[in-house]
Amino acid sequence: MTDAVLARNNVKIFGAGTQPMLFAHGFGCDQNMWRYVAPAFADDYKVVLFDYVGSGGSDLAAYDPERYATLSGYADDVLEIIHALDLHDVIFVGHSVSAMIGVLAANREPDRFARLILIGPSPRYINDPPEYAGGFERADIEGLLEMMDRNFIGWANFLAPVIMKNADRPELGQELEQSFCSTDPVIARRFAEATFFSDNRADLPRMHVPTLVLQCTDDAIAPDAVGEYVSRTLPNAKLQHMRATGHCPHMSHPEETIALMREFLVRGP
Amino acid sequence: MAEDGEAARDLAADAVTIGATLDDAPCGYLAFNDGGTLVAVNRTLRTMLGYERAELVGHSIETILPVGTRIFYHTHFFPLVRMHGHADEVFLLMRGKNGEDLGAITNAVRRQHGDAWITECILMPVHERRKFEDALLRARREAEEARAVAEAERRNVEDANAQLERQALELELQQAHLTEQAEDLRTLNEQLLERTAELERLRGIADHANQAKSDFLAVMSHELRTPLNAIGGYVQLLEMGIHGPVTPAQAEALAKVARSQRHLLSLVNDVLNLARVEAGRVDFTLEAVPMRAIVDAVLPMVEPQLDARHLRFEVRVPPDVVARADRQKLEQILLNLISNAVKFTPPDGTVCVEAGVSADDATYVYLRVGDTGIGIEPDQLAEIFEPFVQVDASRTRRAQGTGLGLTISRDLARGMAGDLTATSTPGEGSTFTLTLPRAD
Repeated sequence: MTDAVLARNNVKIFGAGTQPMLFAHGFGCDQNMWRYVAPAFADDYKVVLFDYVGSGGSDLAAYDPERYATLSGYADDVLEIIHALDLHDVIFVGHSVSAMIGVLAANREPDRFARLILIGPSPRYINDPPEYAGGFERADIEGLLEMMDRNFIGWANFLAPVIMKNADRPELGQELEQSFCSTDPVIARRFAEATFFSDNRADLPRMHVPTLVLQCTDDAIAPDAVGEYVSRTLPNAKLQHMRATGHCPHMSHPEETIALMREFLVRGP
Repeated sequence: MAEDGEAARDLAADAVTIGATLDDAPCGYLAFNDGGTLVAVNRTLRTMLGYERAELVGHSIETILPVGTRIFYHTHFFPLVRMHGHADEVFLLMRGKNGEDLGAITNAVRRQHGDAWITECILMPVHERRKFEDALLRARREAEEARAVAEAERRNVEDANAQLERQALELELQQAHLTEQAEDLRTLNEQLLERTAELERLRGIADHANQAKSDFLAVMSHELRTPLNAIGGYVQLLEMGIHGPVTPAQAEALAKVARSQRHLLSLVNDVLNLARVEAGRVDFTLEAVPMRAIVDAVLPMVEPQLDARHLRFEVRVPPDVVARADRQKLEQILLNLISNAVKFTPPDGTVCVEAGVSADDATYVYLRVGDTGIGIEPDQLAEIFEPFVQVDASRTRRAQGTGLGLTISRDLARGMAGDLTATSTPGEGSTFTLTLPRAD
């Protein structure tokens, strides 16, 4: 079971420390996105990376449409990894959709978690007027899905010739295959729907683990108002605005991201 | 969106250096830093999107992306470029200043320019490809829908099949049951046919035997009557002294012979009658017969007997009781019934004749003869209509008769679609009821 879970989720462990830091990637990516941040914690922590089923190097055959129809199935992945490695005092670092997946997991087994670091969290992406502004309308998500569809068509239709033309660089094909989180358009689309049509606002008030919310400047996916909502609604959270712009500070501004994370881990909320 | 001003200016300067040669290239060109801030957009792309340089450079790349593409940029495109240093042939939908969307195939490379990392993109607008892709996507969606429909159809057909199979199974069971029942019925039918055939055979035997008996009785009666008539005739001649004087003793003897001869003749006549009735050789002439007329016709014949035994005779027969019957046969029956009543009723008793419409069926009338005689025991009541039966030996001795009267009377009644029944209380009397169809 342990090996099965570790293989299924392509779990990677490194670092000299004992307290585990579990890094959970967001929608559209895989564990590689932590490349510029995770190594910074290797001296002091046990770093655990993984891919959700359907992403990166995970076992695509383990994909179960029912299990992963909602974020709850992804939270199962997180808890199964924690059990497989028998992790305690976990520092959970979740980007984007993984922020809420971490909240769901912590609600289910709070004793396993010491800290949560949520990068660009959003409990609900679709607006719910008048009280709640998630930043998106349903039609916007349709636009995303269309963009994804088109690029999967692109791969099928003319990325192959590109790879063929670079026959002397066989690694390019593999690289392209790993370009996005999943080469399976159906799984990617379902993950997008599970992510962007979710509403986990009700799960926030129950989550008491000390939490840091990292809020980028001009984040189109998780606007300021949403970050404020999350940190206000969580009983034990600190909101930290970042100079970094966009939605992926761990990739665009790794130094600032590392510094703020370290400060939180050392000094507490 | 500018980061700290100095850095942005540097980046812009770098990008301008790169972009300058591409300003009039036949494809779009743009460059942005890791924070998503545009540092260069060539003229071709600006023209396509309808923006001035100042409206784009220093601003977020989101400015020229519709919302769906913004998400795609943050979740796919930027991570791809950041992780791999390049992105190839990615489709991006961009939005012009006038709100119109522009699709472009994008190739991107992320490179270091001085201190900053800049991603440069070449964009090839695709109109035809988009139409093609639209058709392809539509076709795929339709195919998926068609597959879903086909799948649903298949499931429906499977369900229907399963149901049909269940029904077929039920029908088979019912058929098996019906076959069993049919088999049972056939067996039963065969048994019934066998029984019927057996009964037919038995009836044939019985009929034959009955016929033989009737034939025998008819012949014998005739053979007996001829000598009896001869005896009677010659005794009369002797009594009349035709063959010489008759002494008182001889006269007495002759009287006894004559009486015996009459009794024997009457016995033979009854037997002959019964045989004829039972052999079906009696013809009935049916007509409307008032019961009163029958009583009136019979009364003179029985009055001597009634008087001789000092019996009271009561008649309660309304004139409007009319039967459909053979007048002669009806007289014969009534005579037999009154004679019986007289025979079995002690002196000073009463014989009563009454008639009316049957209480339980108005299409019938009845004629009833009651007496205050000795009565009949219940266990013997059923037998009195059988041939040669009188209720007991003592009575036979006391009462004269062949024992065929009631048998003949009932046969005659039945021959006229009526019946003859009896009720009795021993020691109090008997009642015989003749029912006949009512004349209308």
